[in-house]
Amino acid sequence: MTSDCSNDGMGKDSIVEVSDLTVRFGDFTAVDGVSFNVRRGEVFAFLGPNGAGKTTTIRTITTIQRATSGRVVIDGFDIDTHRLEARRRIGIAQQHISLDNELTVAQNIRHHAMLHKIPRSEYRTRVLPIASGLGLDPYMSRRVSDLSGGWKRRAAITCAILHEPSVLFLDEPTAGLDTQSRHILWDLVRDLNAGGTTVFLTTHYMDEAEALCDRVAIISSGRISAIGTVDELRESVGPYTVEVTEGSKVAVTRHPTLEDARAYAESLGDVLCNVRLTNLEDVFLDISGGKCLVDHRCHR
Amino acid sequence: MWITDVIDESYRVAWGDLCHLKSNLLEVLLTGTVGPLLYLLAFGYGIGGSMGGGEEYVAFILPGILALATLSATFSTVSMRTLIQRLFYMSFDELLLCPIHVSAVVVGKTLAGMARVVISCSIILLVGCLIVPDASVNVQTVLILLLSAFMFSLLGFLAGIAVRRTNTLSLISAVVIVPMTFLCGTLFDVSALPSWAASVINVLPLTHVSELVRSAMGSGTVPSDSLAVVFVYTALFFGLCWYLIRTNRC
Repeated sequence: MTSDCSNDGMGKDSIVEVSDLTVRFGDFTAVDGVSFNVRRGEVFAFLGPNGAGKTTTIRTITTIQRATSGRVVIDGFDIDTHRLEARRRIGIAQQHISLDNELTVAQNIRHHAMLHKIPRSEYRTRVLPIASGLGLDPYMSRRVSDLSGGWKRRAAITCAILHEPSVLFLDEPTAGLDTQSRHILWDLVRDLNAGGTTVFLTTHYMDEAEALCDRVAIISSGRISAIGTVDELRESVGPYTVEVTEGSKVAVTRHPTLEDARAYAESLGDVLCNVRLTNLEDVFLDISGGKCLVDHRCHR
Repeated sequence: MWITDVIDESYRVAWGDLCHLKSNLLEVLLTGTVGPLLYLLAFGYGIGGSMGGGEEYVAFILPGILALATLSATFSTVSMRTLIQRLFYMSFDELLLCPIHVSAVVVGKTLAGMARVVISCSIILLVGCLIVPDASVNVQTVLILLLSAFMFSLLGFLAGIAVRRTNTLSLISAVVIVPMTFLCGTLFDVSALPSWAASVINVLPLTHVSELVRSAMGSGTVPSDSLAVVFVYTALFFGLCWYLIRTNRC
């Protein structure tokens, strides 16, 4: 089982360690005693519905948001006591594009390079090629406010990675992007990860988490409901699913083995049913409480 | 060295705002100088002239208008740009994410405001010296204007990081900034006010900036009590900005 957070990465070579993190806004608890670790070199995802606490958690880990209580350590540096050292190791592309709309793309990138104290020579030889690699050359002299969402996102990611962070946080990186742009960003994440960058992303796209991530944490109402690899999460709810179509409704059951799923399907007699592998969306719906149509006989 | 790091980082923080200022230079020239020049002409020649002391009155209000320019060229632009970067562009978050000292963020965000003051005051002084040939500008005057620009930029930055809505900024402007503009010894001698009003006005920073600039341009002296008040306000605004950023309360 992974829903007890037994596979939270503790004890491994962790680059992000979060212990009992709580963030409150007045009476509202956005993040409620969350603990987990992100292992060095992995792609880790926070999966959760809108308002689950994903963005607040990321903003707190990256020192933008103040925690009410708890501890966060980035690459060995506590963000409360060694804030600057922790920040040197962090890159973040926020959900809302956090570039200065009144400056050009080139000015935004240059400003970020200056803020991260990247020498001018290195800016020319290393940073500008990153922007070129993301296809930004034709847009460098245009104001950010004049760009489409996809190009703004690429400019923001350039700014987030130009100082070669150890861990890159991507908050809903593909929200609002077309399919082509999404796949370009997925390739970028894979390339960065292959180059040794740990990636921590939040998403509510199941296919994105399934395609990119080594491990996934499902967060709901500010708490982690489950954490593990996609296979482990699938295993936790039942790796095989039987879908039974009854009129306009589809009822699903989870099963521990393919034989069990087939036997169950055959036992239903002459009804329209489909036996398939459980996917991350199934896991997510089960764990986050969106399983109103899931049969309670499901095997766990 | 901490201080050299902060100076270097302050410029890095300011770079974006200075780029913005450079690409909007005409707007900066107009917004920073038209108002003070209008005051100079309307109050100096208009009201002063109608009372029979035009040139003397212009000579009296020129230091006040310079003091006023350090407020008008900084507060609204620094506060509004900070607020927009914080609430709408979210680009202020990027400063909070960078490995730079909090002091550098505070100082850096005031530098563009100070640059605006240098531009505005240069033009006002140029016009003022044409109107009042006897006007003298010395090192003390320049340093006081820079100190005042720093103080009011800090006030603008403080407002920009503390408020949650643009309406609140308008309220601050209407309730604090506009009254200061007219009452703080820029256009008339504060001693002409009733004692209760003068005691209130004497608490406000612009009163002391007016006093400092007027003394520096007149006798070349720098009243230590007014200078102390300006330093106290500067330290207070700086401390509040530093605290709000350091504790992620902005």
